[in-house]
Amino acid sequence: MNRERKVHSEAEHARIETEIGHILAGEEELMPSSGFVASVMDRVRQEAALPAPLPFPWLKAVPVILLASGVFGWGAVGWVHWGLPVFGQLELGLPALSSLTISPQHLSGDLARPVEQAGWVALALGISLLSWLLSRRLAGRGGLL
Amino acid sequence: MNAAASADNKQADIADIERVLAGDVRAFEGIVRRWQGPLVNMAWRYCRDRGRAEEMAQEAFLRAWRGLRLWRREGSFSTWLFALAANAYRSELKRFPVETLPLAAAPEPAGLATQHIELAAHLSHDAVHRAVLTLPLRYREPVVLFYFHEMDVAAAARTLGMPEGTLKARLSRARALLRQRFPHLQEEQGARKVFTMEKGKEAAQ
Repeated sequence: MNRERKVHSEAEHARIETEIGHILAGEEELMPSSGFVASVMDRVRQEAALPAPLPFPWLKAVPVILLASGVFGWGAVGWVHWGLPVFGQLELGLPALSSLTISPQHLSGDLARPVEQAGWVALALGISLLSWLLSRRLAGRGGLL
Repeated sequence: MNAAASADNKQADIADIERVLAGDVRAFEGIVRRWQGPLVNMAWRYCRDRGRAEEMAQEAFLRAWRGLRLWRREGSFSTWLFALAANAYRSELKRFPVETLPLAAAPEPAGLATQHIELAAHLSHDAVHRAVLTLPLRYREPVVLFYFHEMDVAAAARTLGMPEGTLKARLSRARALLRQRFPHLQEEQGARKVFTMEKGKEAAQ
């Protein structure tokens, strides 16, 4: 009995979905208004009359981007190398936290190695690249590219 | 649209695109004339507001104009144009969403008690079309595209840039949501059949 009811219900669902499909597929076509083409072409002509956008000056920009990445990378490494030990030597005011003094030897010893410095630079460059790719993607979705 | 006309349109599109890329702005008018109907109708299905649909279609044509050189010849121009239009409509609706009721609050289709069955059918159809607007965008877009302009699953999936399986699953979910909203549609169809038969008999007499 239950099985019959279930089969009937599934068949009913299928019929209703078919009916919905017929309704959606049978929608009447809308005719664009008579001035539509003219109005689009006006906008297109306006746009065509504008001067072409200046191309992005990659030749000038690439060295600047590389230089800026190098400076930021170097800054990050310098901050890690010099900033953390200083931070570690800070004495916090609260008595319970004052024992959390970070030893400079623990932090700066490993981080000062050249391979890790290069790693930080690579990380900074990677983040720059990702943000560039993301901005291009967003601009592309927005139809700007 | 038959196959021969479709092939002619493809040839005309390619010829116009080449002229536009060579600097002839007027050639774009041919593209607008051929595609104004589909693009306005597609926009209408996204917003169900005629004025806004034409504005959205105009924006889509402008984007097509700007990006025409980005069309890769190996794909169909119509798929490229519909995908571009779908992106344009989606971003427009994100900026200014269509005011809709939640699906559960969408108007019920008129019941069998309605005196004029044709009017009841018309109201039911309108209610179903409006209910599509209340679906979440991820379900609404597959429905809009699948039931539009002779698209099949493959064409709609290409236009939305998603795998066919995902599109099928979303279509199925969308139909289920609509079915839950309109559990009595079948009865109305039955009533329409009876009405049509009666009209046929009257005509025969």
